[in-house]
Amino acid sequence: MAEQPLLDVRDLSLRYPGPRGAVRALEGVSLSLSRGRVMGLVGESGSGKSSLVMALLGLPGTGAVLDAASMQFDGLDLRQQAAALRGRRIGMVFQDPGSALNPAMTIGAQVAEPLVRHLRMSRQDALDRAAALLTEVGIARAESVVRAYPHQLSGGMKQRAVIATALACEPELLLLDEPTTALDVTVEAQILDLLDRLRRERGVGMLLVSHNLGIVDRLCDDLTVLYAGRVVEQGAAATLLAAPRHPYTRGLLAAVPRADRGRMGRLAPIPGGLPDLTRPDPGCNFRPRCAFALPSCAAPQALAPQDGRLVRCHRAEAVGLAPLPGVTGAPPPPPRRPSDAPLLIATELTKTFRLGRPGLALRGGRLALRRPAELRAVDDVSFHVARGEVLGLVGESGCGKSTLGRMVLRLLGADAGRLRFDGQPVTDRPAVEFRRRAQIVFQNPNSSLNPRQTVEQALRWPLVRFGLARGAAADREVDRLLELVRLPSSYRARYPHQMSGGEKQRIGIARALASRPDFVVCDEAVSALDVSVQAAVLNLLSDLRDELGLAYLFISHDIGVIAHLADRIAVMYRGAIVEIGTAEQVLSPAYHPYTEALLSAVPLVGSGGRAARRVRLTGDASAVPDGAGCRFAPRCPRRIGGVCDTVPPPVRQPAPGHRIACHLPLETLAAIPPALGEAA
Amino acid sequence: MSGVALARPGRRWPASLVVGGAVVGVIALLAILGPWIAPYPPEEFAVLDRLRPPSAAHWFGTDEFGRDVFSRVLAGAHYSLLMGFGATGLSLLVGVPLGMLAAFHRGWVEEAVMRGVDLLISIPPVLLGLLILATTDPGLGKTVAAVGLVYVPIMTRLSRAVALGLLAEDFVDAARARADGMVRILWSEILPNAWSPIIVETALRITFAILLGSALSFLGLGPQPPASEWGLMIAESRPFIEEAPWIGLMPGLCLCALLVAVNMVGEGLRDLLDPRMRGRGHG
Repeated sequence: MAEQPLLDVRDLSLRYPGPRGAVRALEGVSLSLSRGRVMGLVGESGSGKSSLVMALLGLPGTGAVLDAASMQFDGLDLRQQAAALRGRRIGMVFQDPGSALNPAMTIGAQVAEPLVRHLRMSRQDALDRAAALLTEVGIARAESVVRAYPHQLSGGMKQRAVIATALACEPELLLLDEPTTALDVTVEAQILDLLDRLRRERGVGMLLVSHNLGIVDRLCDDLTVLYAGRVVEQGAAATLLAAPRHPYTRGLLAAVPRADRGRMGRLAPIPGGLPDLTRPDPGCNFRPRCAFALPSCAAPQALAPQDGRLVRCHRAEAVGLAPLPGVTGAPPPPPRRPSDAPLLIATELTKTFRLGRPGLALRGGRLALRRPAELRAVDDVSFHVARGEVLGLVGESGCGKSTLGRMVLRLLGADAGRLRFDGQPVTDRPAVEFRRRAQIVFQNPNSSLNPRQTVEQALRWPLVRFGLARGAAADREVDRLLELVRLPSSYRARYPHQMSGGEKQRIGIARALASRPDFVVCDEAVSALDVSVQAAVLNLLSDLRDELGLAYLFISHDIGVIAHLADRIAVMYRGAIVEIGTAEQVLSPAYHPYTEALLSAVPLVGSGGRAARRVRLTGDASAVPDGAGCRFAPRCPRRIGGVCDTVPPPVRQPAPGHRIACHLPLETLAAIPPALGEAA
Repeated sequence: MSGVALARPGRRWPASLVVGGAVVGVIALLAILGPWIAPYPPEEFAVLDRLRPPSAAHWFGTDEFGRDVFSRVLAGAHYSLLMGFGATGLSLLVGVPLGMLAAFHRGWVEEAVMRGVDLLISIPPVLLGLLILATTDPGLGKTVAAVGLVYVPIMTRLSRAVALGLLAEDFVDAARARADGMVRILWSEILPNAWSPIIVETALRITFAILLGSALSFLGLGPQPPASEWGLMIAESRPFIEEAPWIGLMPGLCLCALLVAVNMVGEGLRDLLDPRMRGRGHG
């Protein structure tokens, strides 16, 4: 391997001078990447992943001070030539395909732009080439997509178009910044397959920034773990993920809930947060959060080879095999038997959204009343949640899971259907007592708290509102709530902007718990959080369930999170529940074909390239079924025939409490092999 | 996020806010102290001192009846201030609740409020003022009410737009989930987050209110002679514009100074309260 690496970075440092001293975004980062190889870059948000990508592109931002011993791309100095290379020999793909494309330009024009600009192609040649590129990234009917505008494409299609743009000038290096984070898991699987093919067929080198270790394991040959601007561990991806040595890498791995492990007892969150980057610690900067820290960790540490990788930890060998505190080796607690008495029963809930307003339209030369298009967001959904039970609700974006979550709280009126809570019917204008007993935790911690209210005001009002406590009793209750979500009572006076995302999310949970509810809807309650914080919040939620006997409707697109927490799981597709059952039943055969596809699309750590069988869906959830039949039929890999399109699927019951809506006979469904790693 | 950060201690005050605020403050002080510091009674005729140019005895000169222009300008300051602040205050009091109501209720309440507002906005402001004042007896109160009414649609639309954005936030759903009523939601969830864009708009709106009030007075629809409203003074000075330009120029300059100062306050407030206008980014 005397070949010169494609990308070679030595001792890259990046500082952003500011009023409170320079922020040291990167310190002495080195990495090298050969053609056709993929290097993963992982770390919590704020660890410097994106800064590194921008520095490589020569776009570190105004005022940034960049310093490196070497920064070479194929022998060229990136510090001088980045501008000439990017878009041409270095392609880039960012997280949000929606904002990466210009809404006022056709897809074809955008893919063709680098060809015209860098390769001086004629416009017509460039457009022809654009169509070929779009076909190459797996877009069917590329000739018509060339003329489409971004809003006419789905998220997955847009990201393919962005990749096609990046590939236009046949780059040798692709920089991918969270390329699939904004996409659904089945679409993500398609994009990962595409990237994998590009790497093999074209020998493109890739630098993949991701927070998802499953994706890294699926695609990467090498891995660099960044913590607060420093590389803490670097080596072959398989080695690092199978046997991490640095306590931070180990912490990251231990914090991820995994779909194939099912109900583990507890996750191991990494305590604390990122250090202040304006005051660099000469010693190990992970020390304050490290379970194995000793006074000697205050000494500067070098990135040293060990066990076939580089580790920046002088104790790596000594503690390498010691169990992480917090991860108890104990088996998971016996499955609690939630009482069978249903707390919440939803029957045949339906919600239709009207898209736009009615109006007049010219049709065939005649003026006619135009009816607005309708979207059936939730269609005839029935389920129940028992006392102290967690019902997980999974599905891709737009499947109606959040709408359903708001409907069971009557925050959104249903068009049809009934709702019973604790034996009593709940009307469209529910009694105050229902409001007290049924609460909600939201996804986005920035939007869920009123920016003008202190923590105390936010927590105190529900107590007063429901007549639970006032005066000194309310003070004590606020303290108790803060203690419940593991925050000190000094937080009472804080405003939302004075807290981190994880802390805000805890306040959101505390506020929901203030009225002492029996039932809480968690709408993607951990999706916006970093893995280490997510682990802490998940632990908190499961503790609260055990301590207070809460029942949750836990909505998430993340199957790992659902598998970790849920007693029962409901799988939703285009407004309907296609499968419901206990967690064990849903995560193992018999499957609904959609559940099978969803589970096999989940990138798992530890399965690497070995994943034996992958079910890949074509298209995305916006594929509209034609008739009254199964709504999954247009994408279903196991479609039998016309009956799927015309007849609503019957409900099959492989076991008591396990329901699957599918035309396939039960024996066929039961014969589907496990789709989720080895454990399932 | 649509929430706007509060002015926190230690933030630098924009220069335009400080300067503009100081000028407005001085004018307000002069308006209040006017009766005591005015060198002459503003409505006293002095036939011998007609049309005198500015001098040590008469700083701003005298008008066609020998009245001291400086004293009259002092006495007139409160009209402009009252029209500016009174009219915008009025439009705020009517427009903000209307806009919030429309945003909260959607459906036919919103349609009714917004179509009514559309109707009002479709009439040119001066014409609307004329209409109101022509059907009733002119006077300061009427001018304030007319100018205020003209700005109700703008306040309604602005507060509806701000409230609509805020009503989509999750903390409002959290309030609904604990059965908080409309008044409670609007008062403690929406208003505290909505006031800064509204305040900024109000401050900029005051300028136009003063101008419109003066314009109406100029047309004879404001306070009646011998009152010394600045617009009216300018109107009355027209026959003497060549002979004694100071009669109209002095109140005109004062009006200018007030308008520029109020506008500076508005822009300063926007810099202070609206984070999008602050060039520092990362926040």
